[in-house]
Amino acid sequence: MSEPIAGEPIAGQPIPSEPIAGQPILSVENLSVSYGRVDAVRNVSFEVPAGALVTLVGANGAGKTSILNAVSGLLRPRGGVIRFKGEDVTRDPAHKLVKAGLVQVPEGREILGTLSVAENLSLGGWHRGSTLAASVARVYERFPVLHERRKLQAGALSGGEQQMLAIARALVAEPEVLLLDEPSMGLAPKIVDEVFAVIAEIRAGGTTVILVEQNARRALAAADYGYVVETGAITHSGPARELLADERVIEAYLGIS
Amino acid sequence: MQLFMDGIFLGSIYALFAIGFTLVFGILDQLNLAHAAVFSAGALVGIELVTRFGISIWLAIPLVLIVGAVLGILIERIAFRPLGGRHDAHFAGLISSIAFGAIILSVLQALYGADTRRFPPDAFPSARFELLGATVSLLQVIILVISVGLMVVLTWLVAKSKLGRGMRTIAENPHAASVLGLNVGRISSTTFAISSALGAVAGVLFTLNVNAAQLGMGHAVELKALAVIIVGGMGSLPGALIGGLILGLAEVYAVNTVGSSWRDMVAFGLLFLILILRPQGLFGARKVREV
Repeated sequence: MSEPIAGEPIAGQPIPSEPIAGQPILSVENLSVSYGRVDAVRNVSFEVPAGALVTLVGANGAGKTSILNAVSGLLRPRGGVIRFKGEDVTRDPAHKLVKAGLVQVPEGREILGTLSVAENLSLGGWHRGSTLAASVARVYERFPVLHERRKLQAGALSGGEQQMLAIARALVAEPEVLLLDEPSMGLAPKIVDEVFAVIAEIRAGGTTVILVEQNARRALAAADYGYVVETGAITHSGPARELLADERVIEAYLGIS
Repeated sequence: MQLFMDGIFLGSIYALFAIGFTLVFGILDQLNLAHAAVFSAGALVGIELVTRFGISIWLAIPLVLIVGAVLGILIERIAFRPLGGRHDAHFAGLISSIAFGAIILSVLQALYGADTRRFPPDAFPSARFELLGATVSLLQVIILVISVGLMVVLTWLVAKSKLGRGMRTIAENPHAASVLGLNVGRISSTTFAISSALGAVAGVLFTLNVNAAQLGMGHAVELKALAVIIVGGMGSLPGALIGGLILGLAEVYAVNTVGSSWRDMVAFGLLFLILILRPQGLFGARKVREV
């Protein structure tokens, strides 16, 4: 795997995370999210360089999805600043961010089961206007199985196909930053391989990818840079390879498999 | 033949109410019980525009349409949107819309009093003509044309337009709709605005037809419209039209054969019978939308 981060590689370090050299396409500073009086995310900061694959790993309930949803404009953060392409988008709603090029593939896929595969894809391009057809055609080229099944109700697809549809639907929006929330959840190992192959392809095409995964070993193996999230805070961060080799991270999060 | 025509015209008013009602109830899956108050508001504002300001009915109707749309946006913003994040949002919205409806009616009562009000007798051309052996008024024909026209336009809107696709997506999965970049708030607002605009105009046409408007007149129609929506098939606009016409015909024939005190029993009994024979409603197929 190539080192995508410009400038000097940074050693794996505990908090606070050090800024990554080069121009970040997305930066999060001191993000806090709470549900009522419960703090789900506390003072989380991280940066995502353009073109990189960054992963947030951690246990179920650590706050990864809350971070992602705050970044996507689906949750109003209690504090902090989120910058996308240099602009403060902290208060921007999801529909503005999708239009601006920041698109999420949500946890649990959230495909629209009673609509056809084709309708699901065109919904992904809600803001695309006249260029929608071209984007859908490109996506069909990458996922021929979806083209075959385009007239089927999306709910009739297998779990793996539904995940591919969810990713394909986000790609129709032509994102600059793609956020994936637990894309391997509930899938057979062989399908997980396919999902990770698709993610690698997307990244190779120049799209910045933020990957949230419980499958930390797998995610770190695919990523350039990783952040370990624990009870709403980032506890470790660094180049993914170094995290994979970090004794403390292995012990706490990766198990001994 | 006269009975048939009368039934059709009465039914098309029910249909007009039901079509607006089902746009929110059947498509967005939210029951807006302030719709009856919008119906009354449309009627009373229409009367006010014509009597006090001397505006022609042809100008008053578009103005009422706008008043209805504004009320719809207010209902969505105040009675539904703040509750959107709750897991019981459907039920909570139903209750808060009853409250909002009561507020609208109180404002109307404060403005116009509780008395029955009417349009001036010359507000609408009283032209009558013969059609297939029955006497019909220009008003009746216009009501029918408006109902059928709106049914066609709205069916197209829901099935084919981008707004309609957005509405159906929000109904199925509001979270997914947000993730995909749909402006859920704006689409919901627009839907409520269209729905309430229709409700308000239905109020004007109903009042012209029966020549009397009271504050509470929406509630009887509301109950009938709910029955019409369910009999027609949830979420089906043609179903709302056909269901409305069936109810109108049933009422007119019931009054003329067994007497007016039996009207509701016969009409609702018939609707009940249809539901026993076809539980999903006449046009009900909402869980197997075409692909």
